[in-house]
Amino acid sequence: MAAGGNNRSRLLLVILLVTSLFLITLDLRGVNITKNSRSATQTFLAPIQRGVSDLFSPVGNFFSDIKNFGKTKSELKELKEENAKLREKVIFNDDTLGQLKKLENVLDLAGRGKYKVVSARVIGKGSSATFSQTITIDSGSNDGVMKDMTVIGELGLVGVVKSTTSTSAIVLLMSDPTFRIGVRIARSQSIGVLLGEGDNNYTLQLLDPSGSIEKDDVLLSLGSDNNKPFVPGVPVGYVKTVKNSRATLTQEAIVASYSNLGSLGVVSVIISSANGGPKDALIPMPRPTPTTTIYVTQPPAIDTATATKDKN
Amino acid sequence: MSWSRVGFSSLLLFFFFIVQESAISKINFPISGFSLYLCAVLGLMALEDRFGAIAFGFIAGIILDFSPSSDSAFGKWALILTIVGYLFSRNRESIGDFTERPMAFVLFVTAGATITLLIFLVIGLVLGENNGNILNNLKTVFGNGLWTLLFSSILLPIIVKLRALTLTSRERI
Repeated sequence: MAAGGNNRSRLLLVILLVTSLFLITLDLRGVNITKNSRSATQTFLAPIQRGVSDLFSPVGNFFSDIKNFGKTKSELKELKEENAKLREKVIFNDDTLGQLKKLENVLDLAGRGKYKVVSARVIGKGSSATFSQTITIDSGSNDGVMKDMTVIGELGLVGVVKSTTSTSAIVLLMSDPTFRIGVRIARSQSIGVLLGEGDNNYTLQLLDPSGSIEKDDVLLSLGSDNNKPFVPGVPVGYVKTVKNSRATLTQEAIVASYSNLGSLGVVSVIISSANGGPKDALIPMPRPTPTTTIYVTQPPAIDTATATKDKN
Repeated sequence: MSWSRVGFSSLLLFFFFIVQESAISKINFPISGFSLYLCAVLGLMALEDRFGAIAFGFIAGIILDFSPSSDSAFGKWALILTIVGYLFSRNRESIGDFTERPMAFVLFVTAGATITLLIFLVIGLVLGENNGNILNNLKTVFGNGLWTLLFSSILLPIIVKLRALTLTSRERI
């Protein structure tokens, strides 16, 4: 009897393992059934998450509130707002100086910051058990939110829209290990790639080996084709430490983000960027060098004999 | 194991999944998050016989694969929890009845949660997924284990009672 039970379990184990592997193979081959099923789950969960969000927000910040015990919330809020304004000023100043130095056809000063946005509340976070870092927001395709749109917080980049339903969207946070974004340094205009590391630190890899990185350099998003997934000019972070290793071909740095991804309440999804953003204007165009032509003419020969005669 | 119990337990798992996705994952736990769902699944699996543990592992895995925040391949959790279900049932036979040994139950579920996440990372590597910094991952595994250890002592008695409701009179004997 027991042997019969064991055989039944073994058979079930084999069948279920094969089924799991079959499902994994289907997913890796890009069969849409699996993606649609997750989207359907999100459609089902979004109203519940929205309902729970209001009820649960004080509990959600319970541990961080304990950490900040003794400090008044209003004072913190005031300081944060002031800090955000000052930071914004510094970022824009740095960027302007960097561009003036280069004297290139960069026309993103007017365009930067003039984004058309849709604001959304954060109604859910990805489970830590999945090792992926995501948030769920309460705006979806009905509000104009589409896949591969840039998401910003009060201080800078937050992530990119990974998938949408009619009333909600999932945002891949910039701290996710799979997250990659092209960035430029505001001061030197050098470009590089910023990699998510799964925590609050990010790695910047400079593409130009001769480019320079300095501590506190401000990083802005480089932008993508048709502003998808990234619009240009969004503050991404600042350089914390520059890695000086001779072993690597490119320079690397540790970067800290402006946005505190652990306490996101409201975010904005960039629907469009004014005038398509400064992407093309950042490309250095070859300019014709002005040429100066000097015509050298033979001075008229002076006949000394005639000159003396005229004088007399 | 009756089909009605499979259905009822699946509904129970789905309830825990919704609570996890809509409420628990919103809490910013220090070190790392706590997976209520994993704790509930492992608690249920620990009380089942071999056939039940494997079956519930697979069902629980499929439910977790539907998680919209999951970035991994569909079916990966089903594979992992089926394996864990089998490993659980193999080892629990040597431990005995958990309902009379609560500490062993808590430790068994905590160890199970930690092992499950480690298997998740290993299978992710095999499938070529990028899980990021190894130290961060280990921190997540450790944090989840710690919170499971703390919360499972509260949660597991509830799971035992809920499970008892699903048992037929024959199974109770």
